[in-house]
This record gives sequence, C-alpha cells and structure tokens, in this order.
Amino acid sequence: MMMELTTRHFRQQSASACRDSNLRAVLDHATRYFMGKRGAALEAFAGRDEHFARARSARLNALSRLPDLLEELERNATAAGVKVHWAADAAEARAIITGIAKAANVRVIVKGKSMVTEEIELNPALEAAGADVWETDLGEFIVQLAGEPPSHIIAPAIHKSRAEVAELFAEKLNLHGQSIPELTLLAREALREKFLCADMGITGANMAVAETGSVILVENEGNIRMSTTCPPVHVALMSLEKVAATMQDAADILRVLPRSATGQKMSSYVSVLTGPRKEGETDGAREMHLVILDNGRSEVLADPVLREALACFRCGACLNSCPVYQTIGGHAYGSVYSGPIGTLLSSLLLPQDLTRDLPFGCTLCGACARTCPLGINHPKLMLALRQRVANGRANPVSSAHSLLARHPLAYRLAVGVARTLDPNLHLLPRLPGMPGLSEFVDSRRPPELKKPFAARRRKTKREQKQ
Amino acid sequence: MSATQSRAAILDTLRKGLAAAPFFADAPPARPASISVGPDAWELLAGVLGPLEVRLRLARTPAEAAVHVADIARERQAATYTRWDAALNALNLPGGFDAALSSLERLEPGCCQNLARADLGFVLAHAALLESGSLAVVAAPGQHRSASLLPPASVVLVPRNALLPDVSHLPALLNRHRLPAGALPACLNLITGPSSTADIELVLVRGVHGPGTLDVIGLDWDV
Ligand code: SF4
Repeated sequence: MMMELTTRHFRQQSASACRDSNLRAVLDHATRYFMGKRGAALEAFAGRDEHFARARSARLNALSRLPDLLEELERNATAAGVKVHWAADAAEARAIITGIAKAANVRVIVKGKSMVTEEIELNPALEAAGADVWETDLGEFIVQLAGEPPSHIIAPAIHKSRAEVAELFAEKLNLHGQSIPELTLLAREALREKFLCADMGITGANMAVAETGSVILVENEGNIRMSTTCPPVHVALMSLEKVAATMQDAADILRVLPRSATGQKMSSYVSVLTGPRKEGETDGAREMHLVILDNGRSEVLADPVLREALACFRCGACLNSCPVYQTIGGHAYGSVYSGPIGTLLSSLLLPQDLTRDLPFGCTLCGACARTCPLGINHPKLMLALRQRVANGRANPVSSAHSLLARHPLAYRLAVGVARTLDPNLHLLPRLPGMPGLSEFVDSRRPPELKKPFAARRRKTKREQKQ
Repeated sequence: MSATQSRAAILDTLRKGLAAAPFFADAPPARPASISVGPDAWELLAGVLGPLEVRLRLARTPAEAAVHVADIARERQAATYTRWDAALNALNLPGGFDAALSSLERLEPGCCQNLARADLGFVLAHAALLESGSLAVVAAPGQHRSASLLPPASVVLVPRNALLPDVSHLPALLNRHRLPAGALPACLNLITGPSSTADIELVLVRGVHGPGTLDVIGLDWDV
C-alpha cells in the first residue's frame, strides 16, 4: 500500500484513508479503547483538575525559562558524567549520534520508542554508518519489519491485525506463531538476543530535569530499561522543550501523563537516570550521552500563541478524541506527528509550503482542547496557523468569495450568472487566467446550482396546467 | 555549524524569542492532599496491586518472609535466581536469605549475558507508593538493575517503612539516596506491575521484555 507519505499530499492521503473501511474499523476500536481506559482512570482521579493544572504549570514554567533551564540541565548532567550535545537540526543530530556510534565501534544498536528519532530519520543514517538497528518496542518492531512509519503515538502498529503480524514474523524472521501471546513471546525472544549483544542503546526522553541533570523515561514493556541497562553506551535524544525545572515538577507531570495516555496510574516502568553507572555497579551504561535537539522549535518560542504547542508531553489523548484522526488515522498526516497536536507540530517544524493543508484538516469542534490535560487550545492555534497560511499566499478567489458573501445583492447576481453559464461548476475551475480557482472549487464540492425556488415552482405549475 | 555554534545559536534564538514575547506561567494551585499512610496501608497496597495481577504476601516475621520466598520459588518453578546482596542480607532471614532457596542455583551479578538464564530475581523496594502501587528501586553496587528486569519472574520485598503515599515523594526519595559526595544515584526505577504491552490489536500481554510476573512480599517491620 505504501506510497511515500508526505504532509504535502495530506488532502489526497486523507481522501484515500477515508475510503479504507478496514482502517476505519481498526481506528474505531482503538480510539474507543484508549478513550474508555482514560475516562475510567480520570473519573477515579481525586483532585484531577488541580493535578492537571500543576502539570500544565510545570510545562509552561519550563517553557518560560527554557534557555536558562537548558543551561542548568547541561551543567548538572555534565556534573553527573553525562556528555551533553546540542543539535540545531536533524542533520546535526544524526551526525552527532552516528559519530558516537563510530567512536564506540558500535555494530548492534537497540532502540526504545522515540518520536524524535523518527523525526530526524535516525535509523537510515545509522544503517548507512554500518550499524544494525533494532526497534525494540513491540509496535515499533512490527512497523520496522513492515517498512512502515508508526501510526499512533502510543500504539505505533495499531493498524496491523494479528494475522498480518503473524505473516510478517514468518516472512521476515522465519518465526511462526498465531495467537497474540505467542507472537509477543516470539518478539521477546528475538529481541532479547539483540539486547544482550547490543553495543549501544538509543532512547528518547520524556523529560530531563534541569535541577538534577536526570533523564526520565516512561514505558510499559521494559525495552527502554533493557536499552539503558545492558549496552555499554546509552544515547538519549531529547527535543529541547522537554525539560522540567525541578524533580518536583517532573513528579507532577508523572502524576498525569500515564493516566492521560493509557489510563494507568503509573506506567509499568519509569526510569530516572542521572549519569552513567557509578563505580562498583555491574550494569547500566558506562557512557551516557544527552543530545538536545532544536530542529525548528526555538523559533516557535517567539510566537505568543503558537508556542503553547511546545507544552505537549505526547500523551496522545487528543488524537483519540479527534473526529478527523478517528476517520483518517495517523499515516494520512504524512508526518511522524499526527492528530491535532501533530498538525500543530508539523506545521511549526516543517517548511510552510509542505504543510499548507494540515491546519485545514480540522473541524474546530474543540474535542482536543477539552481532552488535553495541559489545557492546550488546539483550535485557537489551528486558526492562527490558517491565518499564517493565508497571509503567506492568499487565494484571490477566496478573497473574492468572501467579498461577495458580504454583499447579498452582488452574491445573487454572481450566482445567477454562474447558474446560467455553468450550473455544475465544471467549466469555472478551467477558466484560464484565474489562479486558485480550481483549488477553491475542488475543496468545496458545491452542490449543483439549481434555479431559484420561485422559478422552479412556476415551472412545475406551468407543467401541471398543460 | 560547529557544536558550540549550534549551542550558542539555539540559546540565542530562545532568549530573543522570550524577549520579543515575554512569557509568564501562572502559579499552580496547591497539590491536593496525599492519602495518609496509616494502619490500613498494606490493604491499600494490596488493593492497588490486585488489578495489576500482582499478589502481595505479608510477612510478620523474617521466618514468614523466608517461607514466602520459598513458596514463590516453587510456584514459579525456578531453578536459578539472582538477587541484591547486602540489602537483602540485612533482612536477617533465618539462616540467611539463600537458605530459603537452597535447591536453586544463585547466579552472580555481572553483565546481562550472565544473568540471562536467571528464572527469578529478588530486590528490595526503597519505596512503595500506595496511590499507584509503584515500587521504587535504587541501583547501587550490590543492587543491580537487571535483577528486576531480566528474569521472567520478579520478586520485590517491601519493608513497612518504605510505604509512601504517591509520586510527589520522588524528590525526597532521591535525596535520601544521595551518595556521600552528594551525587544522585545513577538509576532509580519505579516498577508498577509486570512488563506489559497491548501493541497487537490492543490485547494486553504480560511479560514482553521485562518480567511477566511480579510478586511482592510485605515485611511488616521497619528495616
Ligand atoms: S496536545 Fe494532545 S498529546 Fe499533547 S498533551 Fe495535550 S492531549 Fe496529550
């Protein structure tokens, strides 16, 4: 199925996703599942609103002091023995990480689930440098074997059925199983081997704490613990907005993040890593690196409205609540980040001409904003982005249309002309010398322009008389 | 750009951004009161561990704890085990911690490859959070991280004085474990139930990469 998915083709990709009834069934099940779990957990969460507000405050406080906190993080992480690197963009981050791998003579790399490593397209760079790279989160492992991108922040292989996974394991690994526990066990055994021989573990970072220099990793499977416990080198890649000022702020965030993501009171494993293993310890990485990635984020901080998107801690709840995501799924967005928050992040981080359509894939229903535990107001940001797109390249036809719509007489006149000459609006988009017209008409699907009601009534009466 | 140039450029852009559009975060509301750790603490812990398929066995004496250790080893059909060292020796189980496991082979900690064939791993919790059922374990010499990770069955012993309300105690907990020179421990794990995944068709499976089972022995005395 996989053509190259890109944000540029969001419209076409959404249209074809809408026609995929299998996908719809999977999405229906998955989004309901997550919303159900989450709803039940939040129902039973005493002091929920206060906890949400504290998590929001921790995130906004971090953004409001971001440069100072990043310097503090660097100081404290360095003091704890971590090598801290700064990457302005994806290419720099790739160069830093492949450099670490080469310097350590790395052959086998195990990776924990990390959206940011997807964002910078790290795996191909590591493979080109001669390393054998294994995604170890079960869902990521499945999509890696299938050669597909992840389709959901929390459940990357949500679009794959057990039969498809069984087929994939048989074809790519020559491992045979049918039931879901069997398939899970096969993956455990195949990846256990990799963990034990890996030379390097790469993870993202859910947070890094400025006050202590600690990296915090949250997961359910144990693959991130394996990736940071067994291989001698650990590299954590963190996008720069993920910093928390204090361990107390981090704790406030941990109170909310798992509940909002999967409805768990706490994820199965939370690792607080402060530097490489200490003397006398027998496991844990001997060498720890923290790569701080910008890749367009620092620019966003100057925008008083749009920077709110940087507060997101990727719980995924807004995806599940979004009627557009529920209909088209993650792939159609053509970016690592999907759903409401994905639309915002992609629009802010990728070149504008690639993401023009994204903010229009939104009904402005506000379900996301009501769901977000951090109170991010996605629709407001969506409108700001639409405005930015319009300012960048206003469509003259849109402007003309809005002018007409404000003048009823002129509007009726224009519709009258169109009705006479081109009632189905087939010719209009093809008129030469009218840029933007076809785009305007195509995206609207106007109904056939019928004769006015009074005229049709007169006609019917005439016919009845005859 | 060189690494130092990138660092300077990033910080500069951030500072300019904040100067152009100053950012003030509202002060947060007070944190809601924590649940109190009272005489019903073990019950609360058992209640929150239950849905995670974790059984809590309470021991009132070291001798009872030793019986639980032996029972679990039998139930899990373990032939080999790995365990933390001094921290578990200090529990003074009758005849020493290993006495309850005399028919099993104890694997010495080392690299992960050494421990890959351990059936059972024993560690001590430095905290157990009543709100979430999370067990905090702090790595140190003689307290290897893989003991609660590699074996398919994991056992965590929780002393009574390790019971805490919730994760808001994390900073204090880390501070308590600072090394003599003031450094934080390199690794603290919160373990909440067995390893789990729902990545295939959202069907929950326990034990994908970490332990598939978790047993907790409550030690009803202060350690
Ligand atoms: S924006 Fe979406 S993913 Fe981010 S915190 Fe809010 S609900 Fe979660």
